[in-house]
Amino acid sequence: MGKKAEELPQYKQFAEWIENRHDYAKKWQQNNGGKVVGYLCTYVPEEILYAGGVLPVRILGSHEPESITRPYLHDMYCPFCHDCLAQGLEGRFDYLDGIMLAQSCLHLRQVFFTWEERVPVDWSYYMHFPHGVNNNHAAEYLKGELEKFKVAVEEWTGTTITNKELDDAIEVYNKNRQLMKQVYEFRKLENPPITGLHAMEMVISSQMVDKKEHNEVLESLLEDLKDAEVDRDTGTRLMIIGSEDDDREFFKMVEYEQNYSATFVFEEHCTGARYFWDEVRPEEDRLMAIAKRYVNRVPCPAKDWPTYGFYGRRRFNWIEKWVKEFNVDGAIIMQQKFCDPHELDIPSLRELLDNLNIPHLFLEFDITVPVGQFRTRVEAFLESIGEDDLFF
Amino acid sequence: MITAGIDVGSKYTKAVVLKNGAEIVGYANIRTGMDHEKSAREALEEALKAAGINRDQVDKIIATGFGKTSVPFADDEISQVVAAGKGGYFARPSTRTVIEVGAEESRGIKLAEDGKIRDFALADKCAAGAGSFTDAMARYLEVPLEEFGQLSLRSKGAAAMNAQCVIFAESEVVSLVHQNVPKEEISRAIHDAIADRVASIVRRVGIEDDVLVVGGLANDPGFIDSLKRELNTEVYLPEIIAPEYIPALGAALMEE
Amino acid sequence: MAKEFKVEPLKVWNDFKKYREQYYRDYLEAKDNGAVRWAGSAWAFDAVPAGLGEDVYPLTGEPYGATVAFFKDFSRRALEKAERAGVPRDLCGYLRNYWGSIMMDKYVLTDGTEVEPFPKPDFNYTIHICCTHAKWYHRAGELEGDVPTYAVDISVGPGYLLDDRKINYVVRQLEDSIKWMEQITGREYDDELLIKAVLAEADSMSTWAKICKLNQNIPAPLEEKSMFTLYALLVLHRADPRVAELYNKLYEETQDRVKRGIGAINNEQFRFLTDNPPPWAFLNVYRYLEKEYGAVSLGSVYTFGLEGAWLGMDEKGETWRWEPAPTPEEAGVEISNREDALRWTAEFNLRYRPGWQHPYSHKIRKIETLQMIKDWKADAMIMHLNRGCELWAMSELEVRDYLVKHNIPVATYEGNMADPREFDEARTWNVIDSFMESLGIKKLSKQ
Repeated sequence: MGKKAEELPQYKQFAEWIENRHDYAKKWQQNNGGKVVGYLCTYVPEEILYAGGVLPVRILGSHEPESITRPYLHDMYCPFCHDCLAQGLEGRFDYLDGIMLAQSCLHLRQVFFTWEERVPVDWSYYMHFPHGVNNNHAAEYLKGELEKFKVAVEEWTGTTITNKELDDAIEVYNKNRQLMKQVYEFRKLENPPITGLHAMEMVISSQMVDKKEHNEVLESLLEDLKDAEVDRDTGTRLMIIGSEDDDREFFKMVEYEQNYSATFVFEEHCTGARYFWDEVRPEEDRLMAIAKRYVNRVPCPAKDWPTYGFYGRRRFNWIEKWVKEFNVDGAIIMQQKFCDPHELDIPSLRELLDNLNIPHLFLEFDITVPVGQFRTRVEAFLESIGEDDLFF
Repeated sequence: MITAGIDVGSKYTKAVVLKNGAEIVGYANIRTGMDHEKSAREALEEALKAAGINRDQVDKIIATGFGKTSVPFADDEISQVVAAGKGGYFARPSTRTVIEVGAEESRGIKLAEDGKIRDFALADKCAAGAGSFTDAMARYLEVPLEEFGQLSLRSKGAAAMNAQCVIFAESEVVSLVHQNVPKEEISRAIHDAIADRVASIVRRVGIEDDVLVVGGLANDPGFIDSLKRELNTEVYLPEIIAPEYIPALGAALMEE
Repeated sequence: MAKEFKVEPLKVWNDFKKYREQYYRDYLEAKDNGAVRWAGSAWAFDAVPAGLGEDVYPLTGEPYGATVAFFKDFSRRALEKAERAGVPRDLCGYLRNYWGSIMMDKYVLTDGTEVEPFPKPDFNYTIHICCTHAKWYHRAGELEGDVPTYAVDISVGPGYLLDDRKINYVVRQLEDSIKWMEQITGREYDDELLIKAVLAEADSMSTWAKICKLNQNIPAPLEEKSMFTLYALLVLHRADPRVAELYNKLYEETQDRVKRGIGAINNEQFRFLTDNPPPWAFLNVYRYLEKEYGAVSLGSVYTFGLEGAWLGMDEKGETWRWEPAPTPEEAGVEISNREDALRWTAEFNLRYRPGWQHPYSHKIRKIETLQMIKDWKADAMIMHLNRGCELWAMSELEVRDYLVKHNIPVATYEGNMADPREFDEARTWNVIDSFMESLGIKKLSKQ
């Protein structure tokens, strides 16, 4: 037998990276003499920054109450965007050389504009980006924006980004995606050696560190996972579906601290599969290849809607596939309060899950997750799924 | 000249009697009943009694507060913002930011050097940032309201609570109780949350020293302590009269 | 004491009201005559479905949502119906009224008459700019029973940063949408009708801008509450030549009012601007300001910019020009085929529609608003912190801060354009009284 799954050093590494994200970025700057850019939404084409010797890091919140964003952001804008802006205003990202956003929801756009104006930063870039990613012309439009973006990065860094550098960056990024998908494969096992907590920490940390370094840890993790010893009861196999949600307390509670056994076998959100599932398919026109990757990726609901002859939601096709492949028993719809794009999908999502016979629990969270209250509801949910099993 | 200001608040009705626009000669505070006019009359009578002045000696009566329109015997009325601004400036002329926290509402008022109102912001409709929230929470924790603030001061740590919405805040308090968090800490968490909420509104007008806190909740030392920490600046209470009388005082000053 | 101005009712008023009444009836009855009906955002490319024939009737969702909101009881039932089905309360207010109306299977006419069932469209056709539009009609289509939906993505940035590739992106989608409509309806598309509609659209939108501009006069010939009724035809069917004609009539009449010194209110002593869709069920905010203070609302980036065509930002993105945008005729452009027409309508809307410039920065809306205050000689801004629309609420607080820094007095009140439950009358009067008192403006009754 191999190592105990819960004690794998790679899991500790992921968590440490997250906890020390700011120190990591500062050290990276020193050691590499390179620039660090904070980005606000996962539609940012990181490959181009990376090819230019820039480290892209994702700006996430801290899950602490704050009182400094309300002069700028409406109350009815989501807690996540408030939290992100608070980080900037409080100077926690003061080491960033630049910030950027690829056109996303209105909430994050506002954060970007206010940050750009009120938090001192050397460089900022707002990338226009198609919302209609399901239509045939989106990649062509995006490619034009990527061309402009590449020039802007070159001008800022005083370098020229060569095809070779783009190829290398694409390779590093694709590898990261492939490796994380391989880790996800282990989640299909009857007793997965990785819980949702660690899986999410793997993905979040990948958004904060140099992917090359992340790849090394992933490779060693894959070795260890092959014969890792699972000494926990998997219990109900859960999938999380929903908006931005990087709060780890909730995962800890569900998987480690409540009365029923349960394990997340899939996270559909943007600190989960939506972030890394799709690779760049190399083609001669590198920027077009990158454009297609971002247009064709598992969409955020903000960009997932009908067009010519397509009346579905592309994301739902993925959800259906994952539910089956990962043998999901129940889904938790984790909804960031005030996140409109997700809210708009929820009535249809409930219908989808009902049709798939997947029981679901809807939880709405704020800047902090009310763990105590959610525990009661999760326990009741798990209990009801257990009862169903008795009858089948 | 004798003027009287009456502030018909949602919980209490306050009256202040002023001589020559300069000297406070009487004041009173009674619970607001269903009949606002009656409450206003009673508060005025009590304040006049304290001042030893007869009703017919009063030259002008000015009403303010949410019930200001239901005081038919008043000669005039004045908005809460202007009343709190005037009263605050009179109580402490170096004031540039007035923070008023009443039972149901809180607001920030920015004053110019001459006391004129430059800007103001009212709390949004969600009620997590006002006095009645402490009342409810003190009741829930079975602590007398007077002790609730003191309890907060004795807290050794701070449990984080998010009170952007009163519904969420209440459920978080329930969670804290279930987790056996000491009452001191819960009280502190509640006060921090209200201070947080109030501060986020006042920040819309910008915090400029001196900051004066008025309204009923200013009497709660736990809240004041939290607010200082949140704003990271000194905050003052009026010295000439208790903080809940400031809008009534401002109304009495209207003729000035 | 406020100066007295002459006032007169508008002669065209009833024509506008009648058009609106008839519009909702036409849509309702269209199927009796085998006509085509479609539904979608008021920002949809209205001219494009016009090529399907002379008998094409739209139902635009935002105005319909506002109409529902106006009938508080119907609205409450619609909102509750949607909420019971799990629709979150913080979503777009219009959308919740609209979905709720479909879910109740009831349609409301402008006189409050309730009709069953909800008349479903042949197709949904919209644009997508905020986070809501495409998804609104997508779900509506599902609720209506698989009504096909097409959304044109217009997220290509502000007009002054347009380039050919961006314009092409929108034009290609419009071309596709024509093929799609032909398939859905089985009709052959008529380019001549498209051209006619595109010309009417430009005429309606530019003429509205000219009308708004006349409000720079003292006294203002129009006030915003009436303008909400007047601008409605633009959000209903601006590409209808009859609509263009009505705006031209209104323009003439307003010019005449200015010439003769006719005011919108007789006691104008204070001029202010607003910034957002109003709380539709509580337009008495405007009457209160008028009656109590002689305060006239001159307009807003919303009323002027939702459907008016303005030059807007200059090429450098530094100066906002509140000048009406040229129609094809004024620009000397001839539109002779489908490609020309689609390119014109795409570019005209992308470039000159202020409401489409906002979601790409705070800067645009700040400069635009301050310029409006100057050009319309406004004394102050009264903002509606509108919980009902995230797009119009965007940048609001940053604009507030910007105006205050430029010594423009600003008051804010909370509400929701389409959810009457989120408006508190007493609090709002309190804000208004506090604001006016703080500015030293006395009530007319106390002067």
